[in-house]
Amino acid sequence: MKSLLFAGTVALALIVAGCGGERDAQVLNFYNWSEYMPQEVLDRFEQETGIAVVYTTYDSNEALYAKLKLLDQSSQYDLAVPSTYYVSKMSREGLLAPIDQGKLHGLDQLDPQLRDQAFDPDNTYSIPYLWGTAGIAVDAADIDPAGITSWGDLWRPEFRGRVMMTNDLRDVFHVGLKLLGYSANSTDPAQIEAAYHKLEELLPSVRTFNSDAPRMPYLEGEADIGMIWNGEVVTGRADLPTLTYIYPREGAALWLDSFVIPKNARNPEAAHRFIDFVLRPEIAALISAEIGYATPNLAARKLLDPAVAADRTIYPQPEDLVNAEFQQDLGDAATLIYHHYWDRLKAGR
Amino acid sequence: MAEGALPYPLTGQRNPLRSAVLALSWGWLLALVLVPNLLVLAASLLTRDPLHFLQLPLTLDSYRRLLDPLYLRVFLDSLALALATTLGCLLLGYPFAWALSRIRARWRPLLLFLLILPFWTNSLVRTYAIKQLLAANGPLNGALLALGLIDAPLELLYTQGAVILGLVYLLLPFMILPLYAVFEDLRPELLLASRDLGAGRLATFVHVLIPLTLPGILAGTLLVLLPALGMFYVADILGGARVLLVGNVIKNQFLDARDWPFGAAASILLTAAMALLLFAHRLARRRLRHGTVP
Amino acid sequence: MSGRLPRLWLALVYLLLYVPIAVLLLYSFNDARTGYRWGGWSLRWYRALWANDTLMDSLWNSLALAAAAASLATAIGTLTAFALHRYRFRGRQLMHGLLFVVMMSPEIVLAIALLALFLLVGLQLGFTSLLIAHLTFCLPFVVITVLARLAGFEAQLLEAARDLGAGEFTALYTVLLPALLPALLAGWLLGFTLSLDDVVVSTFVGGPSYEVLPLRIYSMVRVGLKPEVNALGTLLLVFSLLALGLSQLLLNKQKS
Repeated sequence: MKSLLFAGTVALALIVAGCGGERDAQVLNFYNWSEYMPQEVLDRFEQETGIAVVYTTYDSNEALYAKLKLLDQSSQYDLAVPSTYYVSKMSREGLLAPIDQGKLHGLDQLDPQLRDQAFDPDNTYSIPYLWGTAGIAVDAADIDPAGITSWGDLWRPEFRGRVMMTNDLRDVFHVGLKLLGYSANSTDPAQIEAAYHKLEELLPSVRTFNSDAPRMPYLEGEADIGMIWNGEVVTGRADLPTLTYIYPREGAALWLDSFVIPKNARNPEAAHRFIDFVLRPEIAALISAEIGYATPNLAARKLLDPAVAADRTIYPQPEDLVNAEFQQDLGDAATLIYHHYWDRLKAGR
Repeated sequence: MAEGALPYPLTGQRNPLRSAVLALSWGWLLALVLVPNLLVLAASLLTRDPLHFLQLPLTLDSYRRLLDPLYLRVFLDSLALALATTLGCLLLGYPFAWALSRIRARWRPLLLFLLILPFWTNSLVRTYAIKQLLAANGPLNGALLALGLIDAPLELLYTQGAVILGLVYLLLPFMILPLYAVFEDLRPELLLASRDLGAGRLATFVHVLIPLTLPGILAGTLLVLLPALGMFYVADILGGARVLLVGNVIKNQFLDARDWPFGAAASILLTAAMALLLFAHRLARRRLRHGTVP
Repeated sequence: MSGRLPRLWLALVYLLLYVPIAVLLLYSFNDARTGYRWGGWSLRWYRALWANDTLMDSLWNSLALAAAAASLATAIGTLTAFALHRYRFRGRQLMHGLLFVVMMSPEIVLAIALLALFLLVGLQLGFTSLLIAHLTFCLPFVVITVLARLAGFEAQLLEAARDLGAGEFTALYTVLLPALLPALLAGWLLGFTLSLDDVVVSTFVGGPSYEVLPLRIYSMVRVGLKPEVNALGTLLLVFSLLALGLSQLLLNKQKS
């Protein structure tokens, strides 16, 4: 009797679990940065198309790349959102499927300056999603924003133990390199090493590294100043109105995140439909306003609430971006050097 | 029943049930334990390949990298952290186990139940609770501020201390349970005898109680130290990505930096450390059994 | 030794153990979104939890996985424990040793090893890989639990059954199994809890097609400020309380 009960439990559990798999006829496996897509958009997409979205997240391009490579053969993701320099890397390694632009409407509404870039000519593999900057965050309640103009301000002794940095190799080295007057895309080992030594000095001041939700340490009262992505400041302001964003004079980091479809995606149809959905001006505008990053969709920008469109944190003025630099792919050799110094930086205390 | 002697004749004869059961038992052990670990060993001897994770030239490079002062330091630091956790558990748990063994037997099941109950709540949720508790704007700081004990919120979160606290909190029952088991078996007459013979309380403690409870201490240490080294998620949540444990290093190598041979080598190192500890534990127990402990 | 001090220590430790639990409970009913102020009693986070489809899906997934893993582990583990106890065979010591090693292994070592195996064999990372992995870390605990019970078992009962003409299998089935039931239940519960709680192994061998609860919570917690997690924690606590209490009652009834 007991063994029957027992066997029954096993069987039931296996059946139930197995049934989960059958749902993937109309499922979109969407792999994205955490908090990078409003729930409302996912819900509306589901309502309109009947396709359920399974949303899983990563907090760095490295993690995304590693997971995609790991699961490459088993085609578990249909849609992902890497940053610029990873698009070229992934397309070179044959991890991406070409995007059928015929299935997408409104591509011409995208800012021509952000299309057809060197990392993906003709947008064969990627469609721009959002772009933004990485600059300085300041809690105005503790520090006067007027006094902060440079990356070098993070090194000030009065901020010891109160600095927060994003947990991103390229972002952090951008700070070091720009401060020394080098390009943030330097492949010169001497320059990278110099940046490392500069950053080493900052380390005692760093309270925490956070790429999941960089605004959190400010909200928790654990940090007052640091490097942050602009959208995080916008969303953080809802809970902490004194959170301020500053464009440093040596130059903020510019990035662009794009949709890509992994080569072995099980449901590329659904992926195309989702991209198409997001290209709609009203959806793109909604995303920009809620997530706090800039949309490349010019038609959407016209639909924005004037307060949002005028918000310099989301849509910088040209003078804010004077020395800003896009993060480019550095090639494998240089990347290894960066990783080497990043490990040293993280391990030192 | 005689100690150690099996109570009925062992069936050495071949019967189909026996063969099936043995095949199954060896089967899962070989397939799920032995082979995978051999694979990791193999991976640690290969070379990193940026495209396919692993490629052929066999090399000891990964192990050489482990000896790099940078990583050696990371390992030593995380060992220190795990030891601090073990010490914390011991300091809290030893008196607790002793006190529990003195409580009237009637209440003990309930108390044990209360001890285990938090363990049955998801460990991530409990770690999150600690995070909320320790935050600068959290209730602990709030209470201390309200009582006037501090002027400004304490920086408790994103520190080594927070990680140790989290680990102690999650692993304490694993220290207490083996200790309680030895305390329960302890004969109070031994302690009384020691006192009657004129030994002071400290001497009794050091020379009688500790040796008698040593098996429990050793077991508890093993059960806390090893998991502590691998629980990367506690360091992630409470340490703010600044506190690196061996577990974090291994995870980063496999999921971020994609240096699989190096991650595998670190994993082998951890396994070796575990084997060493187990061996030491075995030696200690053997010595205890053949020693003068009554 | 005075009776006051030890009890004080007990109370202190229990207090420390339950303060975070209290935080969990309180904040699950806190109306304020940022958990640092008290906004009044509210059930909104429980409602948010109920409405959070992905979280509920992952809960269901985890429960199913844990039940399957625990059941398989109990089945295989009992047989293994039985073999260790009753049969004499070459390599018995080795088997004991291997079991102990698996039990003591840090989960991350286990996770990496199994990932390597799955990649070699070409197994897709999803439910199956998770099941096998969870089975692996649950098994030693079941074996040890059942083995401990077997050690105290009255073998004469088995021999008596054999003398009365029962075959080996029947003897086991009608005599041994019922006596082992508490150990089986304990092992099953242990396996179930370990599976439900697992973060480390699932991080490495899980795939997006089968999201498990701990990983979902992990990403929510890292992003911060998710009071729904407090609500979930409270519910899990109540659930464990009921499950544990129920099993204790059943076991006590069985003893009499």
